[in-house]
Amino acid sequence: MPIRDRSHWRHAFWQIPAIILLAGLVGICVNYLRPDSIPIVGDWSAKTSMAAATQDKLSIPLAGAANLFSEQLAVFIDARDEQEYADGHIRGALSLAWDDASERFPEIAGDIPSGTMIITYCDGEGCHMSYDLAVFLRDKGFENVWELANGWTVWQDANLPVEEGNAVSPRG
Amino acid sequence: MEEKSCSYSQDAKQHPQIMYAGILYHAARWILGIVFIYASLHKILYPAAFAEAVYRYQILPDWLVNLTALVLPWLELFLGVFLIIGLWMPGAVVISNLLFIIFMSALSYNMARGLDISCGCFSTSPTAGAADIWTVLRDGMLLIVSLYLLFATFARTVRVRD
Repeated sequence: MPIRDRSHWRHAFWQIPAIILLAGLVGICVNYLRPDSIPIVGDWSAKTSMAAATQDKLSIPLAGAANLFSEQLAVFIDARDEQEYADGHIRGALSLAWDDASERFPEIAGDIPSGTMIITYCDGEGCHMSYDLAVFLRDKGFENVWELANGWTVWQDANLPVEEGNAVSPRG
Repeated sequence: MEEKSCSYSQDAKQHPQIMYAGILYHAARWILGIVFIYASLHKILYPAAFAEAVYRYQILPDWLVNLTALVLPWLELFLGVFLIIGLWMPGAVVISNLLFIIFMSALSYNMARGLDISCGCFSTSPTAGAADIWTVLRDGMLLIVSLYLLFATFARTVRVRD
């Protein structure tokens, strides 16, 4: 006669904490041993994040980017894909989609005088293409490269100048 | 004399539907197991990047961000291995369902409040696309597989003979 086996629930009752405990112990031990360990309790306060962003992420605040824009002291580079660039971008920005950065870099390199400040941007708080592009450009020898985090959104929210256009040529 | 045995193996030859249910059960185990293992690898390799992905969700208190980033990938790895080898199945299946419900809730919550963040589900890579409705649907489909496994695991019967 088939009967329902209720012992599974009894097993689940101790297995759930056991699996979580096992994962916790291994995770913390491995973290302790590895060279690139992170603190178990990190400091994610807004102040720390901002400081870290400025030092490690090459991030420039919107006010600074807007000043450099109005003084025409910086070249803006859009790291999104060409279609998104064509739909709208910071006025005068060059297009260098991160996905094609290696191939298309020579096209725009000649348009940027050495020593010029460069500000990269993409869109969304989770978008890191602008950061990657900034690092890429630094690797290519441009020393003065910064990232405007979540750039397209914050630029529009601040009603700063934008334009539309195709990304056929580097200058759009 | 009492003899207990799993009905799947005993009755499979006589009842094809039991055999199909067995195949489905093992397929679900393998699918979820592989998904969990695959999802864990990048996060285990890059804990700092995953911690940042967790932080960007803006759901957990700050003090829990790193701890989650350290434990969750290993939980996924152990779950994946346990599901594939069939060890501690009741516990593993319950956690699997809880995780998919939590993942779907977190993604939906952030989509609803317009937070444009990458999923961090299978990759901590910065170039991973932003989470969208397809990400939630993908989690939903995996939750269905996981719910089936929960049903199949807990509804299994044993045959008792006198």
